[in-house]
Amino acid sequence: MNAFIDFIMGPMVWIAFLIFILGLILKIVLIIKDVNARESYIYSYMTLKHSLRSIFAWLIPFFPQSTRQSPVFYSISYIFHLLLFIVPIFLTSHIVLVNEAFQVSWIALDDGLADILTVMVVLALVFFTIRRVMVPEVKYLTSTKDYILILIVALPFITGFLAYHQFFLYRPMVIAHVISGEIMLILIPFSRFSHMIVAPLTRAYMGSEFGNVRHAKDW
Amino acid sequence: MPNEIKTKDDSPVVKERKTDEAVEAGLARLTPERIKNTINQVLQKETGPRFKAYVETCMHCGLCAEACLYFLSNDRDPAFSPAGKVKQTIWEMLEKKGEVSIDFLRRAVHIAQTQCNVCKRCSMYCPFGIDIAYLMLLVRRICHKLEITPLYIQDTVNSHSATMNQMWVKEDEWIDTLQWQEEDAREEFENLRIPLDKEGADVMYSVIAPEPKFQAGLLYQAATIMHAAGINWTMPSSPGWDNSNMAMFTGDNEISGRIARTFYETAARLKVKRIVMGECGHAFRSTYDVGNRWIGWAMPPFEVVHALEFYHELLTSGRIKIAQKFKKTVTLHDPCNVSRGRGLHDMAREVTNMLCESFIEMTPNREHNFCCGAGGGVINCGPPYKGERMVNNRVKAEQLKATGAEVLIAPCHNCHSGLEDIVHHYDLNMEVKFLGDIIYETMEKKIYKPGE
Amino acid sequence: MEENKSFDWSTDLKEVPVREWEDRFVWVEESHVSPDGETIASIVNVEEGVFTVCENGETWDNEYDKAWSLRPLPDGKFAACVSSDEEWTLSISGDEWENWFDFIWDLQVNQDGSSLSLAIQKDMEYGMAVNDEPWGQMYGNINEMVLSDTGSVAAVVQVSPMAQADIEVFKQGIFSCAVNGKAIEKNFLNIWDISFDSSGKNVAYGVRLDRTDYTIVVNDIAWDKKFQSVWKPVFLSGEDSVVAPVKEGGKWALYKDGQPFWKTQYNQIWKMVVSEKTGNIAAIASNKFGKWTIAQNDQPWNMTADQMISDLFYSKDGSTLVAVLKDKGFWTLAVNQKKWDLSADKVFTPCISSDGKVVCVVIERQGQYFLAVNNIVIPNGYDFMATPVISPDNTKILQKAVKDGVYQRLIMSTDKIL
Repeated sequence: MNAFIDFIMGPMVWIAFLIFILGLILKIVLIIKDVNARESYIYSYMTLKHSLRSIFAWLIPFFPQSTRQSPVFYSISYIFHLLLFIVPIFLTSHIVLVNEAFQVSWIALDDGLADILTVMVVLALVFFTIRRVMVPEVKYLTSTKDYILILIVALPFITGFLAYHQFFLYRPMVIAHVISGEIMLILIPFSRFSHMIVAPLTRAYMGSEFGNVRHAKDW
Repeated sequence: MPNEIKTKDDSPVVKERKTDEAVEAGLARLTPERIKNTINQVLQKETGPRFKAYVETCMHCGLCAEACLYFLSNDRDPAFSPAGKVKQTIWEMLEKKGEVSIDFLRRAVHIAQTQCNVCKRCSMYCPFGIDIAYLMLLVRRICHKLEITPLYIQDTVNSHSATMNQMWVKEDEWIDTLQWQEEDAREEFENLRIPLDKEGADVMYSVIAPEPKFQAGLLYQAATIMHAAGINWTMPSSPGWDNSNMAMFTGDNEISGRIARTFYETAARLKVKRIVMGECGHAFRSTYDVGNRWIGWAMPPFEVVHALEFYHELLTSGRIKIAQKFKKTVTLHDPCNVSRGRGLHDMAREVTNMLCESFIEMTPNREHNFCCGAGGGVINCGPPYKGERMVNNRVKAEQLKATGAEVLIAPCHNCHSGLEDIVHHYDLNMEVKFLGDIIYETMEKKIYKPGE
Repeated sequence: MEENKSFDWSTDLKEVPVREWEDRFVWVEESHVSPDGETIASIVNVEEGVFTVCENGETWDNEYDKAWSLRPLPDGKFAACVSSDEEWTLSISGDEWENWFDFIWDLQVNQDGSSLSLAIQKDMEYGMAVNDEPWGQMYGNINEMVLSDTGSVAAVVQVSPMAQADIEVFKQGIFSCAVNGKAIEKNFLNIWDISFDSSGKNVAYGVRLDRTDYTIVVNDIAWDKKFQSVWKPVFLSGEDSVVAPVKEGGKWALYKDGQPFWKTQYNQIWKMVVSEKTGNIAAIASNKFGKWTIAQNDQPWNMTADQMISDLFYSKDGSTLVAVLKDKGFWTLAVNQKKWDLSADKVFTPCISSDGKVVCVVIERQGQYFLAVNNIVIPNGYDFMATPVISPDNTKILQKAVKDGVYQRLIMSTDKIL
């Protein structure tokens, strides 16, 4: 059992990162190969200019009409997505681990602030959950899988928060934190979390069809 | 509204009525084997990474709902939201690996053919730019192959396939109608011609089949505008004159491509420089964006100029002069296929302002316009669906009413017919007009001479 | 082009003033020129509702309520569809057919001019007439009329009635191919693109069997295989074999008599031409989406056009293959894989010498017509030009052009141009 936990806490972390990164690269490669084989016609319409135009337009808060019509959701969603990266990357205890392994480090968040931000991530997920239950058009689309996805994102943050504060069961909580983090990383390339890299592609294609062919805006 | 029943997972499923005799006849002929094979063939063999990405990337966030006139008009009923329609069709087909029931298909064809205008507004509200219209067109493709396409639109596709026009217009009727309009127009404009098959003309003018069939006056108007503007133009006497394409809206891509080929080869035969088309939106989409692609023409082999753009050119170049501006207050409906589909919305405003004294915007507008509710082949599904088409576009009626305008300009045939229905149903007391109607009414009836 | 021998190749210039026609008539419609270049003709409006045709300044003996579809004939005469008292017939330089109809259209002339065909409508029934001989049997509708070089005609006819929007009856198949008025037995959902063989006795065409299955039918016998779509079949010269582009597994391929023929699968392939002399087969094809080329005997040309290839012609000896194409916004020609340098707004039908050594074509640039010969554009612009003719010995070119209100029949020496 101890050997297993050592594996989870040690090599598995790197394996999870490897699967996460290589998985995403593989995903991109497979998509491009598949496009070349079956839908190469889309290159006749895609342009870098219009792809970037659309992606950037959609990155600017409250620039697209859609974002202005659902300001609460988009505000929370923007912050959530930013924190999803900022909190784990700039967390002191994560930087310490990286430093131990690779002797590199970078600026860290104040622990108190990190704490608040973690709570914000969890609250955002709570908001998404409530939205799935309460808003009819979202509820209609929601299945168990959607809640599982929320849970997968929530767990590393919740367990990390609990472990940091050492409320109870410190060691099991750290283990749970590492395992849930690994699960999330591993699942990204193989689940709808892959929208992390696929969404810019679909956006780029739609942006090109609108910008290059239809001479219209898509935001 | 159809009765709602509750299923295990508590999501409302609409119990489908038997609305359409062709759908019913088709469903009665289906076997589980054929259903499964057809669905899997289309979803596996005829799609690619794009479809996969759309299905695997959708986060079920529901933001597309806000875009859809069906959702908004039906008191935010989730079953009418864009992703909701995907859920009721594609998702289940995928989940059940094609083993879906007759009841499911009855609902699926109803949704895909008559509860979505494939207007692509939702693609502008999806943060990922997922092309939900494409997914609905895939459902239509499956229904086409299963032969459960609604009656009236299928009849237009049959007509296309046999005559290369949408309305069973016989070849002699077409030519005869042009000659008759030409003769009538000579009463007003001496020496006016509708030159048939004039090889080497600059412009081939093309229309949709309802013009010779029901609205020959539009051919008359177009001829007077061409004549007054001194355009070196022609119309084909042969099939290929009809630029409409209902096959692209039933998923009959083979017929759709054949229509596009005939159209462009007619222009090639006549050796024209460019093609001008009447005020029709879906025809523009077909020739500019859809039919040509199936053939392998990445972009149209001839410049295709929508009437809106052509009028703009005639007015700004002085080929057509306005004697007296149109007095009534007007508002402008942006047809999806030339605004969201071609970015001509600003030009439409310029033309309207050049013609009319008082122009009131409706909102939302331009790329964000609401579809007329008739487009995408929906009105072509005919009388069985007319009642629900009125209910399904209440937002358009509200939008129109808010303008308080006397005249509604709709530079597209489908929009024109669809909006006339809306105006009538909601008692809006508006007159629906084409831009060509107003140009004809307001222009100086003299022939352009360069330098004058 | 043996008939060219009899043309007058020795008179350098003949002129016909045409501007004065505009003073004589209310209006003058577009010009047409006879193959030998001796005659220029237009439909003219004499007064309100009165039309005739003016040939070299002489009007036809008869006047009509309407006239359209003027066409030069190989023998130097002209034909037009004309109407009097709401009845229509064909008039050949003023001599009308004996038969009059409720409507006529689609005038076709075979290569030697021995046969003229029309689609006809009488009492809302449809058929064809060849050389003033209407079909004995008439039908509910007619489309896709063709005239063979031997004078046989065929068309797609509707053989059973269909009520409005009756898709069940449509599904049974209500169309048949009628050859010389007689409908062949089998009906189909659709029939398109009828081809005759050189004897004029055999026909091949594309059909749709049901909602999604297409195949090729030769003399009422369908190929065994079904396809996703098909384009126009052609008969190979000197054999009974039929070749057609068919779509299978999302790709286009060329099939011969129901069996795979060329190996390559194309994104698109159509409009085959067959050289009678060499037996070579060429087709307009696309290997890469949006790029067009020519495939000859399954070998693609080392050339692509990004917009369209509209037509393809072999020289009589089969040595030269000419494509009319549009690339980067302009029309041009490609001759034996080589694109010409000229870029035009319009390119008309090319004229190719029998040995393939001289290719000339009328082009239009910014409203002016020019003659181009072997990739050289002759600088003189004209208001109008008809298809030129090359002399049998290739030494001369007959140019038919209008400038400043005068029609010029000009014989030019090929040497001086090249």
